[in-house]
Amino acid sequence: MATGTTIDVLYFAQVAEHMGVRRETQPLDAPVRAGDWLDALAARCPALGPSARLKLAINQEHAARTAMIRPGDEVAVFEPVTGG
Amino acid sequence: MIRIQTERFDVAELTGLLQARAAGRAGALVHFLGMVRDYSPDAGSRSLFLEHYPGMCEREIQALCDHARQRWDILDTVVVHRVGELPLGDPIVFVGVAAAHRGQAFRACEYIIDALKTRAPFWKRETLADGRAFWVEQQAADAEKTAQWDTP
Repeated sequence: MATGTTIDVLYFAQVAEHMGVRRETQPLDAPVRAGDWLDALAARCPALGPSARLKLAINQEHAARTAMIRPGDEVAVFEPVTGG
Repeated sequence: MIRIQTERFDVAELTGLLQARAAGRAGALVHFLGMVRDYSPDAGSRSLFLEHYPGMCEREIQALCDHARQRWDILDTVVVHRVGELPLGDPIVFVGVAAAHRGQAFRACEYIIDALKTRAPFWKRETLADGRAFWVEQQAADAEKTAQWDTP
């Protein structure tokens, strides 16, 4: 569970396969721009490819790269969705 | 009503449910049924696996249905989407809309399935007959189709 100094991060589908985990808790003690956070994730795991391709949800809502991630948030990372 | 489930669904049961819920008020009922198809006809498909983001999926679909009810004069919606391992030809998604008049029901139904395809967090992985598996990529045409609903 995320606390005041962490975030819950969820990975789905191909992103989960590349990360090797489906869920992890990451330290975060101050708000960060979603795009910057995603760039750092992509740098940590080159198999993810360019971070511009990746999609993000914050607290179960689609979020743009300009959105802010705050301590305690649930953040999900995934490729463009393919339901229906 | 929104349901995400692994089990097969019965179209007649769902249309019957929608019909009963809007009985007396609805003059039209439109539904869309999506089925599992072969995403790589050259390689031979075996099955499709659907992963989803529980919680966000239901919220997104609810938001799409709410939007449809604000935009068109419709009475009720039923959306059922399956997840897990699905064989070719199986039903995968049902979108049903009840309205007083057919035009509103047709448009709302098409909007909901278009928007669901680009907004609801589901991902398809296809397994081929030879055992290879890959994640299906979002079609540019799907994104364009959803975007068209934003320009009246």
